[in-house]
Amino acid sequence: MNAAEIALVVVAGLLLIAVVLVTAARRLDRLHRRENSSRATLEVQLVHRAEAAIALAESGLLDPAGAIVVADAGWRAAFGAERLVGEDDHSATGPSHAAGSARGLAESELSRALRTALGTPEDQGPLAATPDGAAHLRTLAHHVYRVQLARRFHNDAVVQIRHVRRTWAVRLFRLAGRAPMPRPFEMDDEVDVLDPGPDATPLG
Amino acid sequence: MKVGLVSPYSFDAPGGVQFHIRDLAERLIDLGHPTSVLAPAEDDTELPAYVESVGGAVPVRYNGSVARLAFGPVVAARASRWLSAGEFDVVHIHEPFAPSVGLISLRLADVPVVATFHSAQERSRAMQLAYPLVRPGLERISARIAVSEDARRTVVEHLGGDAVIIPNGVNTRTFAEAPVQPAWQGTAQAPTIAFLGRLDEPRKGLPVLLGAVAAVRARYPGARFLVAGRGHLEAATRGLGDHADAVEGLGGISDAEKASLLASADVYVAPQTGGESFGIVLVEAMSAGTTVVASDLNAFRRVLDDGGSGFLFSTGDSASLAQTICRALDEPTESRARRAHARSAVVRFDWDEVAARILDVYAMVTPAPGPVSALRPLLGRLFSRGEP
Repeated sequence: MNAAEIALVVVAGLLLIAVVLVTAARRLDRLHRRENSSRATLEVQLVHRAEAAIALAESGLLDPAGAIVVADAGWRAAFGAERLVGEDDHSATGPSHAAGSARGLAESELSRALRTALGTPEDQGPLAATPDGAAHLRTLAHHVYRVQLARRFHNDAVVQIRHVRRTWAVRLFRLAGRAPMPRPFEMDDEVDVLDPGPDATPLG
Repeated sequence: MKVGLVSPYSFDAPGGVQFHIRDLAERLIDLGHPTSVLAPAEDDTELPAYVESVGGAVPVRYNGSVARLAFGPVVAARASRWLSAGEFDVVHIHEPFAPSVGLISLRLADVPVVATFHSAQERSRAMQLAYPLVRPGLERISARIAVSEDARRTVVEHLGGDAVIIPNGVNTRTFAEAPVQPAWQGTAQAPTIAFLGRLDEPRKGLPVLLGAVAAVRARYPGARFLVAGRGHLEAATRGLGDHADAVEGLGGISDAEKASLLASADVYVAPQTGGESFGIVLVEAMSAGTTVVASDLNAFRRVLDDGGSGFLFSTGDSASLAQTICRALDEPTESRARRAHARSAVVRFDWDEVAARILDVYAMVTPAPGPVSALRPLLGRLFSRGEP
């Protein structure tokens, strides 16, 4: 093998590595963009849910103690804890891990408050029998379900990013740049809300 | 919202996935969402206006049965043209594991992708070989839907992460309002028992039902068994002797006849021995208001609420089936209670409910309005509360 042949092999090898790296980087970039948008969706849905909970608490249909606890938990979830999406989305820092888990705790507390205030679906029967109550329950059921969807889709994106970022090429060549390692959004999102059916028009 | 649906299986031959896509497309169009379906089909197959063909499909052995799939450069070019011409807000790909136009569209789509997983699959060698090739494509899926718990388990095992369960839709009203056919109605002494499914496919369980005929006739000598589906019945009933006359073959029947059969018969039997991920025909029978007797497969157990909406017997066991049919006929009060439960339980499988849930998923993957806009009304209300 002469010098020219060796040079050719080396160039071909380098080209191959370059293609592999560019492909991996684009794949990772696509996943990160997906994660960004699913996180934004989750943020919006969480706020909608808190809003629906506060509206129910303000309606006067719950017992006074339950109403105060739900309104307080809703307020802390929507305003007390940090946002999942920063004001300037272009910064490389993103939300800190601590903020994500604090928000998760606040949202879980809201779920628990709602569970206690509403009781089982059977307990919600009398509330669903009033037109106002039915509309509030339907709105809440809708947003509780959408939070569950948004969180699941977001966490799927996170799992896939973490999988790709564990591969050798991404780690060795730091293809992720300064993008923070995303973490699944953990919260207790189970709230049994009696959905009174399509006859009740959702609010808003 | 403009929606693009992609079917991996050919519209030349009808099947569960194709029916699901057709019904979903029609429901979305009814709700005011422009919808287009991309699917393999021969040029001479008559297609609804909203279906766009990628050309003919070739029969390929896949996941244990022969499926008609489409792939190749022509298919890829047509899929690419459909995607750019459609300007979709969301592309919804069905059964993306199937090596067909779905997998191709997944690679080409630059809008959010939703995928529905229909079948339950075992971890296979072929899947493991193909997996590194398809993984980057599957990562483009923003939201995964599984039609049943078993399909969801497949997704979790193969891909990690999770999927939301949205069952297949049924037009429950079509079955609830189906006209009764007197010839298929039974009496207290001569009840009718219906079976649907291909006769020559053992998985559908016809042999299990035929094995129960003698025992049922011992208690109800006038009982009639109405067997609907393509295949040769004579060969199957030869061993029954005198009882062969009690088994009436109806041959292949139309959708309307199927609804009437389910509305008329006293008992519908689903003796499938496996391979069922959902059991849509059970939901159809429940909507039509017949008493359902089904094998205790996991999928059927779930659809029937663990027997609350019907009767379960040990899968593949003819003696157990005969006993269960007799019990359903012996206790009309109990059967009536379970039918009533079934009628209210099918609401969650109705297309109204299913389409609304699918639209919820679309809404979650299409770009959301900024969180600030959602906060405004709440902030406004909180600050205005102190004022008189």
